[in-house]
This record gives sequence, C-alpha cells and structure tokens, in this order.
Amino acid sequence: MTHAYTKVRQALCYGSATLGAAALAALIAAGSAAAAESHGVATAKAAAADLAAGKADDPVVLKAAPINARRVFVYDPKHFAAISQFYMIDGDTARVVGTADGGFLSNPVVASDGSFFGQASTVYERIARGKRTDYVELLDPQTNNPIADIELPNSPRFLVGTYPWMTALTPNNKTLLFYQFSPQPAVGVVDLAGKKFDRMIEVPDCYHIFPSSNDTFFMHCRDGSLLKVGIGADGKSQTKRTEIFHKENEYLINHPAYSPKSGRLVWPTYTGKIFQIDLSSQDAKFLPAIEAFTDAEKKEGWAPGGWQQVAYHRESDRIFLLGDQRAASKHKAPSRFLFVIDAKTGKRINKIELKHEIDSVGVSQDAKPQLYALSTGDKALYIFDPETGKEVSSVNQLGAGPQVVMTSDM
Amino acid sequence: MRALAFAAALAAFSATAALAAGALEAVQEAPAGSTEVKIAKMKFQTPEVRIKAGSAVTWTNTEALPHNVHFKSGPGVEKDVEGPMLRSNQTYSVKFNAPGTYDYICTPHPFMKGKVVVE
Repeated sequence: MTHAYTKVRQALCYGSATLGAAALAALIAAGSAAAAESHGVATAKAAAADLAAGKADDPVVLKAAPINARRVFVYDPKHFAAISQFYMIDGDTARVVGTADGGFLSNPVVASDGSFFGQASTVYERIARGKRTDYVELLDPQTNNPIADIELPNSPRFLVGTYPWMTALTPNNKTLLFYQFSPQPAVGVVDLAGKKFDRMIEVPDCYHIFPSSNDTFFMHCRDGSLLKVGIGADGKSQTKRTEIFHKENEYLINHPAYSPKSGRLVWPTYTGKIFQIDLSSQDAKFLPAIEAFTDAEKKEGWAPGGWQQVAYHRESDRIFLLGDQRAASKHKAPSRFLFVIDAKTGKRINKIELKHEIDSVGVSQDAKPQLYALSTGDKALYIFDPETGKEVSSVNQLGAGPQVVMTSDM
Repeated sequence: MRALAFAAALAAFSATAALAAGALEAVQEAPAGSTEVKIAKMKFQTPEVRIKAGSAVTWTNTEALPHNVHFKSGPGVEKDVEGPMLRSNQTYSVKFNAPGTYDYICTPHPFMKGKVVVE
C-alpha cells in the first residue's frame, strides 16, 4: 500500500516538475530582459535541472533558518476575525519562510534571543462562541511547532485591536506580561520558564506594559503620569507614579515604540509632538520633547497617522514616523510619507515618499537597517533602505488586514 | 404584539428573579429616603456611601456619556449584577438586603469605582 502510494506521489511530483519546466520556458521567452530573477523563476530552473538530471523529488517538511535581525513577523488580525495569522518573512530575500495560526486578536511576542516567538491568544469552542479559552503559546521559530501552551484562568485578556505593548516579554524572555482591562486594570504574569500562569497584579487606571528589567515594568496612566511596577519575587508588587508629563489635551497614540535594550520609550501625539522617556536606569527620565512638524506644516494639515506610526532604531538613535496631510480625527488613516528624525537633536534627517498607503512601520535593529512599511489595504509589506529612501523589495498577499510588524533586537 | 409583550414581561421577570435571590436587588422604584449617587465627569460623585440593610441606592447619570453600575461576583455577590447603561438623566436603583461592603465599577470605564457599605 505504501509502495503504491509512493508511486502515485512520485508521478504527481514529476507531473509538477514537467509543468514547471514548461512554465520556465515561457518565462524565459517573455522576461529575458528582467533585471533580477524572481524566486519563482529560480525555483523553476532548479526543478527543471533536477528533472533533466533524473533526480527524484523527495518531499520533506522544511525548517526555517534561525531568526536573525531581518526576520520580520507580520501579524494579521484579519479585521477582527475569530482566526488570525502570522507571516514570518526573511527581509533579505523578501520571502515568506513560515506562517502560524492565531486566535481572536492575538498579541504577538518575539524573543530577543531568537529562541521563540509566540502569542497570547483567545479561542472559543464553537469558532466565535461557546466556552472561551485564553492561552499563551510559544513556538519554535524554525519548525513553528508549539513548545509551550499555557492556559490563562478566567479569560483575562484585553480584546482590542492589536497594540504590541499590551503584551510584553521581560528582557530575559522568561516572563510574559499581559494587560487586563475589565473588570479592573491589571497585569497578568506568566512564568514562561516554568510554563505556568503566575498571578494578576492589580494596577491603577494605567495602560500598556514596558518592561525595563526582569522584574520591573512601566505603564502609562490616565492622569498623564507613568507608573513603575516592581513585580516582586515574593509575590508582593510595588507601584510608584512619576510626575505628569503631558497635558490632558495631548493625545498619545496607542502604538508607541519601545526599545527594551536601551530602555527608550518613543511616544508621539496626534499632532507629531514626540515624548521620549529613558527607562534604562529603572526610573523614568523624561527627555526634551520633539516636534516632528513645523507650525507651518501643521497648518497645512501634516500629522502622524496609521496603526504602528512610529519605529525606533536603537543603534543610530533614529525615529521613523509615518505622516501625511490629513483632516483632524483621521489619525488612523494610512500615510504616504515617512519622516526620519534624529532622536537626540529632534532634527529631521529625511522625508521619504513611500508611494504606497502605509499603516505600520518597523525597522530591523542591525547596523544598516531595513525599513518595513506595511500596507493593510494592499495586504503587502514594502521593504525600504532608509538611507536612500528606495524601495528594495516587497511581499504581497499577507492575509486580509495585516497591521502589526515585529522584529527581534538581537 | 402580544408575543412581544409576553417576551418583555418574561425577560423583566427573569432579571428580577435572578437578582432578588441575592444580597443585591435591582428595584424599579427606590423606596423614599434612598441614598442618591450622581454620576458626572467620569466619576461616581459620592464614591463611598453608607446605608442600613434593607435600604436602597439610586444612581443618576447627569452627563451625555453613558455609564452604568456593575457589581462583580465575589464575596457576598453570587453572580455579576450588571446594571443597564444609563443615558443622561436616567436612574438605576439597587436595594441591599444584607450587610457588607459592595464594590462596583462602570463596565466600559473600569477606572470609575464606587463602594456601598451596608450596615
């Protein structure tokens, strides 16, 4: 039986290879002037060569290469669908190297040492109804097989359009922290090393989680202050508020950039004022605020907009901000421009015309970074060289409504 | 029409029956002399009130933003008591049948907190 199956499978594989060779001939005839060979053409050539050499096809389950600085994780919440998707992309070759499934409005995380990626997620026993289960899942980044599945008691997750800093890893990647909104603000502590849920920490009316050490994180509070929370090894957490650092009518966006390695929190407002806070000393040090736009530009309607509107490159100390001319209250509409700003001086270094409607931006943390510009409408990731402002490659067909770009600061 | 009226009556009966069994009882009409709590500026204006067992508290929303009163299940509260969203000038009354301290929030604004101490 097995033998018969193998024969059929081989026949099918040879059939595919024959088709590939025919397609290759057509492509070579039609596209010989093309500057660069596409992945499809290269694969067709290789398959044709294998076929000509009589090499048998031997299907296997592939492994992705280990995570590097240019592994891009794109999360697609699919416009609030019950089932969501992750795409793992190699930024150098602009190829999808893996996918993973998620539940309802997952919060993705990527380990800073590349040892895992994962999510806090939610599933229901009858697709979108029935008993609800919240859980944390860690996956092996090469096989995408689960390496931990930890249930969260009493469905504590905050179901919200994906804000990356509503779920965070501590710098040692041993603890995952997630936010609970209702019935009261709290942060859940998940022991990844011990593969178990630890406890909920009650907090005041504060939002987002920015771990500054393995047992300390900061939050942003309704009154405009930050809250420092000591997780407490003995189970006794401690909290302390900072000064109020912004006015009540300065609206800070839901997608600040945070570099856990440098402790830099970069937080733009609706008008492009950028607050920067240095958390590296385990106390909040407020740096001088930056204005991304001049008063004249603001009068012309220039303002930030999109989903992940800001990215921060640690080594070069640069801020990348999506901006465009827009009407008031259109802050979630995509932007066609990217503003590169020196975080230290506040000086604008470059204004890149992206030529696409971009909702989210990310940056690799290597020395010569790539810029990742994600279009929810196009369902495509455009990869730029931020130095030249040139688009170098793109990846399309990324689900239904991809919104979140994540990289690992390795 | 009759079926609709019947369904509405049944729903009202079910809700009352569910609450009447516990320490908290949502009541259509608060008895005279019940304690008033105004809701304004994203706050319960009297965040802590003290009453005698058997008396009631009436909440009145005085702003355009809808608010409610939500007692989560816990010690002394068998099941969640989640009041309806109140629009401007609408009221909601709860009679407290047993002594204890009853914490509550507003469902969509969990930073709005209040407490009823029943002696």
